[in-house]
Amino acid sequence: MGANRTQGATSDAPAIDLTHSIAEFVGVRASFYVVRFNLLLAGQNRWRVNCAALIFGPLWAAARGLWAFFYLFVILELVAWVQIGRGLWGDLGADKLSEAARLQAKADQLMAEATRGDVSAQLLLESAANLSHAAENARIAAEAAADGATTYLLVGLLLLGLFKLMAGLWADRVYERQYTQWRVNKRVPSGFDLYRLASGCALLLFAFSLTLYRFTFSQPDERIMAVPVPSAYHTRTANLLEEYFDRTAAAGAGLFDSITGATETVLNAIEAVFVDTPWPVIAVFFLLAAWRFAGGRVAIFTGAALTYMGFLGLWEKSMLTLALVSSAAIFCVLMGIPLGIWCARSKRVYAVVQPVLDLMQTMPAFVYLIPIIAFFGTGKVPGILATIVFSMPPVIRLTALGLNQVPKDVVEAARAFGATQWQLMKGIELPLAAPAIMTGVNQTILMCLSMVVIASLIGARGLGQEVLVALQFVAKGQGILAGLAILCCAMVLDRIVQGRFRREEGT
Amino acid sequence: MRDIAIKLEGVWKIFGERAENAMAAVAEEGLTKSEVLARFGAVIGIADVSFDVRQGEIFCIMGLSGSGKSTLIRHINRLIEPTAGRVEVLGQDVMRLSEPELRAMRSEKIGMVFQHMALLPHRSVRDNVAYPLEIRGEPKGRRWEISQYVLSLVGLDGFEDRFPSELSGGMQQRVGLARALASDPEVLLMDEPFSALDPLIRRQLQDQFVTLSEQLHKTTLFITHDLDEAIRLGTRIAIMKDGRIVQIGTPEEIVTNPADDYVRDFVQDISKLKLVFAHTIMEPLQGDAVEKFAQSPRVSEDSDLDHLVDVAITTPHPLVITDAEGKDIGVVSKDRLLRGIQGGK
Repeated sequence: MGANRTQGATSDAPAIDLTHSIAEFVGVRASFYVVRFNLLLAGQNRWRVNCAALIFGPLWAAARGLWAFFYLFVILELVAWVQIGRGLWGDLGADKLSEAARLQAKADQLMAEATRGDVSAQLLLESAANLSHAAENARIAAEAAADGATTYLLVGLLLLGLFKLMAGLWADRVYERQYTQWRVNKRVPSGFDLYRLASGCALLLFAFSLTLYRFTFSQPDERIMAVPVPSAYHTRTANLLEEYFDRTAAAGAGLFDSITGATETVLNAIEAVFVDTPWPVIAVFFLLAAWRFAGGRVAIFTGAALTYMGFLGLWEKSMLTLALVSSAAIFCVLMGIPLGIWCARSKRVYAVVQPVLDLMQTMPAFVYLIPIIAFFGTGKVPGILATIVFSMPPVIRLTALGLNQVPKDVVEAARAFGATQWQLMKGIELPLAAPAIMTGVNQTILMCLSMVVIASLIGARGLGQEVLVALQFVAKGQGILAGLAILCCAMVLDRIVQGRFRREEGT
Repeated sequence: MRDIAIKLEGVWKIFGERAENAMAAVAEEGLTKSEVLARFGAVIGIADVSFDVRQGEIFCIMGLSGSGKSTLIRHINRLIEPTAGRVEVLGQDVMRLSEPELRAMRSEKIGMVFQHMALLPHRSVRDNVAYPLEIRGEPKGRRWEISQYVLSLVGLDGFEDRFPSELSGGMQQRVGLARALASDPEVLLMDEPFSALDPLIRRQLQDQFVTLSEQLHKTTLFITHDLDEAIRLGTRIAIMKDGRIVQIGTPEEIVTNPADDYVRDFVQDISKLKLVFAHTIMEPLQGDAVEKFAQSPRVSEDSDLDHLVDVAITTPHPLVITDAEGKDIGVVSKDRLLRGIQGGK
């Protein structure tokens, strides 16, 4: 190979001939695309129109297997066609006109009542006048809408032309990129395929016909507007679920009551600590904790936050909130860390727990308030339970993650020196997973705080309740003050907990 | 005193969900590696390995990556369980040990050093070294005394209160070695301990290890992918390929008499000067030829080629080789010496 050519200079690189490969990829109309692709490969980036793509747009893309291109232009052309359809056949003023007729009828009816000589004749007359005025307005709007038809038609035609041109100009580049992908992965669609073309046609026909029908007729068939099922399906299923909840609540009353009892005991104890301890003690404790664990700046910030709560009379409510959040967080950590460890140990457990965690985090909180009320009634305990459901996932997830990230060779070394499971867990795995676990705990605390307003909906007290009341009476000032206090609590807790392990990492 | 510290008999390890079936099929039909993979989706890690490691020797297992050597060493302390075969350590069948007995053996009888050190990043050097003792439940004071002592053995005095991350790679591996020595085990398992280090540091650690093992006389199973290292350290060497042992022998046996082309390829670049000895290349002396070599210098039969060269350049005559009693037993001509240096072509 190239024995007599000087080696090394890249400018000497021989040209490569892709004709066969491109022809194999393209199939039909190979010579055209060989020229086009070679122009693109040569770096001649001038936009050139691909007539097939210009005229057939999505159908060209379907036949060539460019599905992303197909869907994009189906949607774009549909938008243009809907405008054209509304301009040509749309009964645009129709709904306004019928509204005008309805208003006028009402006015006439009132007028008739007024002439019959009731006591409130004057009032009726006024209303009748107003109504006929409104009817007149509706008629004018209807005429304007009918005039707008031409505009729709023009805009639609313009858009359609624009989209067609876009498709025509863009086609070669997209197709060339597909060719490059096909070179490395032969499963990428290639050639001109009639089956693909047929399925593209079918989809186009289905989507275009129904959509145009819906947009051009002012009163299309009900069955394409709403899914045609009897409303009884919904009612019956809802009733079944309701019965199920009632039965479960009745059957499990003992269990639910004991859970409530236990939670309440813990919460009351913690509440007593926060609320009944004299405020200076609490304040000093917080300041010291902030200073010891997170340093001077966080201590100053904590001081400011505590001052804010104290001076604006939100101290007791803040303490109630902190008590609620702390007990929820304690339950989360006590249940979450062991669960996380179990998840890290067993893939099967994790496969079961994972979707449940997803559900707990994505299901809107209001939805699981319902079963919680059904089983536990209202009050602060159900409030805590709802908070726990929402806030536990991060600590489980991050514990499992942290344990799985412990280097395998370190674990192996510990086993090689004869460590028991417990020694391994205590001395190696938990310490090495600690940063991840602490991140989980931190997130859990913050998520508990974000639940306080929602929890107050079912009777949890504290700052959340304050916000809720403010919301009910549109008391803007009160609401903002309470909201800021929640923010203060969150930031103080976050800084103290995070500061602690950030400093640990620093050493 | 036992002669043999570690004994492996017909050890097989097959990875995969259907390892048992694959093992049975291999035993009955003698399938090859690729047949096992095709039929059972199982990979043969170790195939029919048997060897003895004598008390106090350094037994090197040499092979390229993927040859199964790291898998093999993990059978000794049962970090990996064999699919078939018998592993005996210090007279005990490790597969028969109960969980607590196994842990006791691991923490008292076997020390292990890892390729990537596997130090505990959250503990100081001292606490790393003391970890095996802590597992055994030694009191803290005793742990500190012992770790201080083994750290001084590997030349790391004064680094006790640092974290592993503050140490260089070579120092970290010396911590790893100290940790393995801390429990004063009878057997040392070393899984490519010096492979991740740069050549200069590797050489230093090898020398230090040789000195140390002359002092401590621990039975050592040493894994390496570097034949030079195996030759420098090993009393005997086993060469592994595709999970099988191709050849076992002293460094000289391997170098002078490679079992197949695979081993020959490895050996070809190894310098023979310090590895091959006079008795290997000499021509046995027939009858009463003593007269003929009256002027030849006499050299002992266990001198290496390096020494023979030194002697040969001082004389025009062939060298006469003598045994321990000073009796003439062979002769080495200059041609023979040169061929010997080339590797006995």
